[in-house]
Amino acid sequence: MQQFRWRHLGAASALALATAISPAFAGPSDDTLRAAMSEEILNLDYNYTTKREYIILAQLTDATLFNIDPETQEVLPSIATSYEFFDETTLDVTLRDDVKFHDGSKLTPADVAYTYNWIKDERSESNAAGVVRRWLDTAEVTGENTLRFHLASVYPLVIRDMAARIMIRKDGTYDAGGEVDRDAMAQDLIATGPYKVASFEPGTELVLERNEDYFGEKPAIGTIVVRNIPDIGTQQAEMMSGGLDWMFKVPLDLAQSLGATPLATHLSGNDLRVGFLVLDSHGYTDPEGPLTNVKVRQAINHALNKPEMAEYLIGGSSEAIHTACHPAQFGCDTSVTDYPYDPEKARALLAEAGYEDGFTLPLWAYRDKAAAEAIAADLTAVGIDVDLRYVKLQSLNQARAAREIPAYFGTWGSGGTADTAAIARIHFDMESDRNMSGDQALADEILSAEQTVDQEERKEIYSSALGKIADEALWAPLFTYSANYLVSPELDFPLDPDGLPRLQNSSWK
Amino acid sequence: MLRYIALRAALALAVAFTVSLAAFLLLNVAGDPAQAIAGEDATPDVIEAIRDRYGLDRPLPVRYFDWLGGVLQGDFGTSYYWHKPVAELVADRADETITLALSALSVTIIIALPLGALAALNPNSWIDRFALGVAVSAQAVPNFWLGLIMIILFGVMMPIFPVSGDSTWKHFVLPAFVLGASSVPAVMRLTRTGLIEVMGADYIRTARSKGFRGWPLLRRHAMRNALLPVISVLAVQLGQKFGGSVITESIFAINGLGRLALESILGMDIPTVQMLIFVFAIVFVAMNLLADILNAALDPRIRIG
Repeated sequence: MQQFRWRHLGAASALALATAISPAFAGPSDDTLRAAMSEEILNLDYNYTTKREYIILAQLTDATLFNIDPETQEVLPSIATSYEFFDETTLDVTLRDDVKFHDGSKLTPADVAYTYNWIKDERSESNAAGVVRRWLDTAEVTGENTLRFHLASVYPLVIRDMAARIMIRKDGTYDAGGEVDRDAMAQDLIATGPYKVASFEPGTELVLERNEDYFGEKPAIGTIVVRNIPDIGTQQAEMMSGGLDWMFKVPLDLAQSLGATPLATHLSGNDLRVGFLVLDSHGYTDPEGPLTNVKVRQAINHALNKPEMAEYLIGGSSEAIHTACHPAQFGCDTSVTDYPYDPEKARALLAEAGYEDGFTLPLWAYRDKAAAEAIAADLTAVGIDVDLRYVKLQSLNQARAAREIPAYFGTWGSGGTADTAAIARIHFDMESDRNMSGDQALADEILSAEQTVDQEERKEIYSSALGKIADEALWAPLFTYSANYLVSPELDFPLDPDGLPRLQNSSWK
Repeated sequence: MLRYIALRAALALAVAFTVSLAAFLLLNVAGDPAQAIAGEDATPDVIEAIRDRYGLDRPLPVRYFDWLGGVLQGDFGTSYYWHKPVAELVADRADETITLALSALSVTIIIALPLGALAALNPNSWIDRFALGVAVSAQAVPNFWLGLIMIILFGVMMPIFPVSGDSTWKHFVLPAFVLGASSVPAVMRLTRTGLIEVMGADYIRTARSKGFRGWPLLRRHAMRNALLPVISVLAVQLGQKFGGSVITESIFAINGLGRLALESILGMDIPTVQMLIFVFAIVFVAMNLLADILNAALDPRIRIG
């Protein structure tokens, strides 16, 4: 009897303790979406940041002059209602007259002109400066709701850049009183987006509230809390205990196992990141090396079992690719030469090239070790003696800059931009050490696509350039990546084809 | 004694500077801080702008002595990531780590001392074996594993404690247990050994002859002497808790110095890493010094020159 009483007392105490101190639950009951990010969020101003997490947050807090429809890649109005090229280097833009900043002040053309001119300014040191300096000469106010951009040269991608990279700030934000303050918006962000900052503890928690003055369609969910939880296992536990509604960058195995339970839903969406091998076709590392022979490069392409890598190592919505871009990107031609998995043909091509006994290939990689090892194994299987050098990204970059890398397993996310320009120039510009082809004509062709206004013509240029890359097997394109999310079963989180998570489009079921 | 303390303090500073130099060199050899700050897909112009902004294009000796000159004037530099003075950053985060370290030490004391005493009073019994089992298990279990198990048990299966964050005392319960558990074996075994040794001493026999038995004997006569080495070990363990908080803080998303250290190392935020290493080294050496002083103060047989 005594023992019985003690048991009851213990159970009651445990229940009372659990009730008293159990954590708060996320969900529709308080109209609060709780999201987790592993990366510490330290700066809310996307004009001064670059990483993926900041792009996602900028979608919530900021608005740009234009939007790009993720389905059709068409330009949509946003802060600007329309644009017109006065001539090839003069762009007139008309703004909405009902846009307000988060502090309630009205947005004016002077704010927009200031933002662009500031980012171009040498003093800004903005992470968006490179983008703007590529084409902007100056921006000037021309009317109550209009402004004019004077372009330094013909640049048809100007609208895309305006949509993707430059967040509008109030006139004088960064240099009020002549004193430069690049961190002016780092924590106390005043922007124009669908959510405004309610509180921000850098590295810990960001609380966003719906901006009731937002000029566009207001988001369905009232509050978004973004917590920095570095450990994915802890995020998983929070999701299982109801403390989280949204996780991203979830490892496939975890996403699949937790997604199979009623506690969370696994969503697998596109990611604009692609994986590929870059081959030193020019012979920077060895002018007479095997990689300068097109048959060897074609053999490497045939040797790689890309569909299985995509299916089993990357998983989710990952797919094998055979062109040097993401199929969802504008201008990404997928009708180029394909080299299907065929180890016999690879061996034959190596023999034709005079390498029937194979050769030693130092292959560098910095991420996705399993995929890197699979690549090495496939190449070894056709007789290439692969010396896999798995290093940190910085080490790879240093060695590549010194032209010491004959081949590397690279990836590129295009900064979330669904246009081939976002991957082509960085990898085939003659100034870029990522370009191992040393092909001036190819570099010129890719540059010309960025200077062509007609979109159909741009497509044709990219088709030609991508066709050349494929024919000469300058790369061995591998696979697209997939983005794995775990979301609360109560959350409706739509996925877009460009792979950019837009939490502002979420709603409760 | 004062001369000894001054000597050890100077040694602590020398250790801190040496370690910070090693960290500075290793981080720079390991890669390009500008690339780490910019992220994986940063374009060369962005990386170059960052390199220029933080003076990362200057020679290593210039950068190190620039930092050293600042330190001698009390300026530890500005974080590349946080864009604020490192000293301010560290001060902001110190509360969480001090709370965690002290809580963890309390957990160690609460578990290890009674367990060690029980084992000493019942040598070679099942209690002793159980205590030994606890010690061996706690020593063998890595922090990150124990942390995840505790999260599953008390955060998911029985949602009693929050599993991440640091806003309330409840958030510190699981991490304090995890961090404190790793010190239990050393303290428990030392308590047991010390007590067994003391229990065989003449003065304990005398106390027994005067009628002391059990807890009164332990408390009034045995513990005082047996705990002398334990106290100095606890001081050292406290120093280790600061350094050891890196994993625990990351698992439980506690915004303390340990997590700051991990994020700074991964992000190659060199000024922050240098100051943290400086702080950790000073704390560690200070705790060792405290252990020596405590030993000297508590045990009249020990005299330091």
